[in-house]
Amino acid sequence: MRDFLRLLRLMRPQAGWMALSVLLAATATLASIALMAISGWFVTAMALAGAAGVTMNYFTPSAYIRACALLRTGGRYAERIVGHEATLRFVASLRPWLFARMEAGAPATLQGLASGDLLSRLRGDIDRLETAFLRVLSPFAVALLALGPCLAVLAAHDGAMAIVTGLIILTGALIIPIILHAGSAASARRLARGSARLNALLVEEVQGLQELAVYDGARLHRARLLAASDALTADEQRLSQASSLATAPLLAAPHLALLGVLILGLPRLGNGGIAPAELPMLALLALATFDAVVAIPLAIQTIPTLLSSARRVFEVADTPAPAPEPAVPRAIPRSGALRLQGVGLTYPGASTPSLAGLDLDLVPGRRIAVVGPSGSGKSSIASLAMRFVPPSEGTIAFADVPYPALRGADIRDRLALMSQADHLFSGSIAENLRIADPRAGHASLCEACRIAQILDFIEAQPKGFDTEVGAHGTRLSGGEARRIALARALLARRPILILDEPTEGLDLATEAALLDALLDARPDLTLLLLTHRPARLERMDEIIRLEQGRVVARGGPAELARLLPPPALTT
Amino acid sequence: MASDTLLTTEAAPPDETEMAGAQEARQRKSRAARLLAGWRPLARRELAAAMVAGALGGAVIVAQAWVVASILDAALFRGAPPEALTGGLLALAGLLVLRAVAAYGAERFGFAAAMKVVPALRRAMLERLDRIGPLGLSGTPSGEIVAALADGVRGTEPFFSRYIPATSQAVVLPLGILIVVAPLDWVSALAFLVTAPLIPLFMALIGMGAEQRNQRQWRRLQRMSGHFLDAIQGIATLKAFNAGPRMVGEVAEAADGYRRDTMAVLRIAFLSSLTLEFFATVSIALVALMIGLRLMWGEMGYQHGLFVLLLAPEFYLPLRAMGTAYHARMESLGAAERLAALEDMPDMAESGAGVGAPPLPAGPVAIRFEDVRLDFADGRRALDGVSFTIPAGETWAVVGASGAGKSSLFALLMGFARPTGGRILVNGAPLAALDLAAFRAGLAYVPQRPTLFAADAAANIALGEAAPDAARVVQAARQAAIHARLEALPQGYATPLGEGGHALSGGEAHRVGLARAFYRDAPLVLLDEPTAHLDAGTEAAVQQAIAGLKPGRTLLVIAHRLASLAHADRILVLERGRVVEIGTEAALRAAGGTFAALVRSALAEGETPA
Repeated sequence: MRDFLRLLRLMRPQAGWMALSVLLAATATLASIALMAISGWFVTAMALAGAAGVTMNYFTPSAYIRACALLRTGGRYAERIVGHEATLRFVASLRPWLFARMEAGAPATLQGLASGDLLSRLRGDIDRLETAFLRVLSPFAVALLALGPCLAVLAAHDGAMAIVTGLIILTGALIIPIILHAGSAASARRLARGSARLNALLVEEVQGLQELAVYDGARLHRARLLAASDALTADEQRLSQASSLATAPLLAAPHLALLGVLILGLPRLGNGGIAPAELPMLALLALATFDAVVAIPLAIQTIPTLLSSARRVFEVADTPAPAPEPAVPRAIPRSGALRLQGVGLTYPGASTPSLAGLDLDLVPGRRIAVVGPSGSGKSSIASLAMRFVPPSEGTIAFADVPYPALRGADIRDRLALMSQADHLFSGSIAENLRIADPRAGHASLCEACRIAQILDFIEAQPKGFDTEVGAHGTRLSGGEARRIALARALLARRPILILDEPTEGLDLATEAALLDALLDARPDLTLLLLTHRPARLERMDEIIRLEQGRVVARGGPAELARLLPPPALTT
Repeated sequence: MASDTLLTTEAAPPDETEMAGAQEARQRKSRAARLLAGWRPLARRELAAAMVAGALGGAVIVAQAWVVASILDAALFRGAPPEALTGGLLALAGLLVLRAVAAYGAERFGFAAAMKVVPALRRAMLERLDRIGPLGLSGTPSGEIVAALADGVRGTEPFFSRYIPATSQAVVLPLGILIVVAPLDWVSALAFLVTAPLIPLFMALIGMGAEQRNQRQWRRLQRMSGHFLDAIQGIATLKAFNAGPRMVGEVAEAADGYRRDTMAVLRIAFLSSLTLEFFATVSIALVALMIGLRLMWGEMGYQHGLFVLLLAPEFYLPLRAMGTAYHARMESLGAAERLAALEDMPDMAESGAGVGAPPLPAGPVAIRFEDVRLDFADGRRALDGVSFTIPAGETWAVVGASGAGKSSLFALLMGFARPTGGRILVNGAPLAALDLAAFRAGLAYVPQRPTLFAADAAANIALGEAAPDAARVVQAARQAAIHARLEALPQGYATPLGEGGHALSGGEAHRVGLARAFYRDAPLVLLDEPTAHLDAGTEAAVQQAIAGLKPGRTLLVIAHRLASLAHADRILVLERGRVVEIGTEAALRAAGGTFAALVRSALAEGETPA
């Protein structure tokens, strides 16, 4: 319920459009109902007049009929336009809101979203919130507005008719769908479990295709997979059977109401208080009133999924920033040393620390390399330095100002990071580079790309810097993507550069050339190089070897042989 | 739209690529439609039953209108007393029940049709995977394949459960009503007859333009959604560059620009439903007016008049329902596109023509490649003119830069790909003529990152065996230097591994893979060494385990490390799909060729000799 109210609050700026849309929809619905009822009355009255041999004024009712027809058609069209306008306006306000919230909590907000699976779920959740008005709110509001006048007209002629019709509508459109939904919740859960199981087996089948072909000659895994698929089908059949068993009677509900009106009305014909032409009108009115509630069962079905979508989206939006911003930030010096003292990091829920007792003194102009296998804690150092996470122990300071006293954005103004997970956005190379500096001119782009050894490649492309990189940079090779990410970090022109596995995906020659170019072009660069590859370590001032979060060796370039693991032939 | 730097919703393709894209999209759609239509006969009976139930529902609607009209006619114009109408009212109640039954039947049979197709489709797609083979699939992310097999297959459901039944209803019901109404009231029938075809016609006329705009808009929406998610995925990168606030503005601007564009399109797109509503509504109003006038003039009986009036909305209802049915079709087509993509991949796997051929004799295996070539369907050449002979019982290391053809070589040896030229001999017999299953039963394969299945540790080692031999499992784990680790798990060898189970590190997972090879005790072992740097202890354990595999086996190792070469009797060096060198480590180092260069750069990099 809280999530629902919060969703409503988010929609408030669009309340005017939404109200207009509901009003138009209710008008169109009422016009449609009136069309049927008036037609029923008109036809009967005309027949009665004909039978009595008198003429009647048919201009007025036929004008009403024409008016209703036009109102229904035009109303529907206007309602669709206004409703979509409201929805799209909501989209345009929801997305920046969500993005800003996620950015504040990043990268913690992304932790759970690393897999494409969860990301696509978030996408579905956002879609569902965005259509909440059209699919859920609007049907209920329209039904409430339109039912009143219909039932009032019935009640004006016969209270019992209104009660019977109201009860049938209440049962058919509200109570049965709710019961049905509550009853099917258990089966739906089983269905969700079944399809999760099928999915897991499919993932294994596809990822382990080769091993299964070699080892699983009897195809036991395939048999399990097919059995899970068949079980899921059987469950779906059962669920659908239950739901059609419950929904089929609803189709008969409008005629049930008509039958009720006839049973009540027929004895009152003549001197009973109901004029002959009024009975067909009331019967058709009862029948057509169901037009006002056709969308309700679907809306009821959508509510639980909508709410869980809202919950998930709000959860992501509410992920707190791991490192809180200071209330009164201190000004950050232009330059200075990045100093880590006794720094440790244990991620929440982890039993062992990712990093422990690290001392690091990156004074301006110094180049430090941290080497170690993947998972040894190198990337944690980058996260700590960028203040994406606060250390669990020890202190970090820039130019002797402790991190907690500084604004995160100010810290990131002094540090440039090329991370292992650097993202290339779908767009051109230039657009990706300018993320680091939106005002960078062509010359700066060229300069950064030259150092990153990617300028030749870019200039060889027909569209040069306007070459599209594709989603996640898929139109580039891994090495090209890394070099563009490096150029981007260089373009930022921060005093300190942190490179996390910058040469992954490059061949050995390119790797060495790249580091040489970087060190030659920026001889006074303050550099923190995190790597598992040993290229050009001799040009560093200090090498720190990390294993399982702990420093196992450190020393100068003269001691490299002692500091490094045995070399690799290929990667 | 605004000119964004990050969210280039508009900066994308100029018109001709957009047109080409539309053309391509149409082709994909029609391919998907053919795929769906191909499965229709399988559910022929269920679909026919759904159609009959739908037609029965239509008949009940007509009957209901008739009974209501006769009751009111009797009460209002024939002065029948209420008691005389009881029969009619009872008939109406009976029809209500029949209506519910028909609706239930139509829905059940429609869904049953879909549920007949879905599992069969999934089976067929899994068989496709076998024929395409791991190498043919290697270019497609496994997530995409899984999505096709799960959601793609499931997504075809609405086509069979809703679209096909709705299309037949849209033809049968209006036609039925027309046939009933025509003899009673030719004027109204004429109104129906004239307006009914106008509806699809006008919808099509407006639709033709709107469809194109719609598709363009749809692509734009997907692009915008894609960009939004792209921005979310890159949120850490944005934050690192303090570019987040800028992006918030751009997200807002893009969404607002999208709103303005979309509304311009929707105003026209909704015209098609406006047309539909307009004709249906005006026709109902017209029919009512004309019936009224003829009733007053005494040219028509009340019963017939009311009957036709009641049927008028029902005449247009199935046509209007086509809108949602069309949506169901689009949904299924989108799903089927994924399946079509899978279905259209070329078969690469060795078909194993020799089912029932005698199995290999026990003992080490000799391998011979004779001028083997492997081309991908898109023309890329993975291997070319590869010839070599591995005598039984030798250990060979395969060395080469990434993309040199090492994985292709392994894929060929396991029958995951058929050579496009030359042949492969196993103990002198062509691989293509062997019983593949029997051949693979004498084979062990350890990939870089072995897949751990959601089963206990013992079952993971004895993969493919319904009843693992506990003693042999432990023995194999010992040989692979993973016994101590597995024994220490919360439930020992009964601890579930894989997704949702106990997580193992990459090095540990690799040793479970090695244990698989020991357990199988196969005479031929193919091993892809892990590339990721393992910590020193793991590294030593893995090397020792590999050495333990040598005796009595033919062993092929894709080697990534100098240290691993020590095990090898010979080294085979691949470069761009060709064998450039074969020889002992010492000989190759002395030769000064590709291998020597690889070693040199590895040493230059590491500074420490192996």
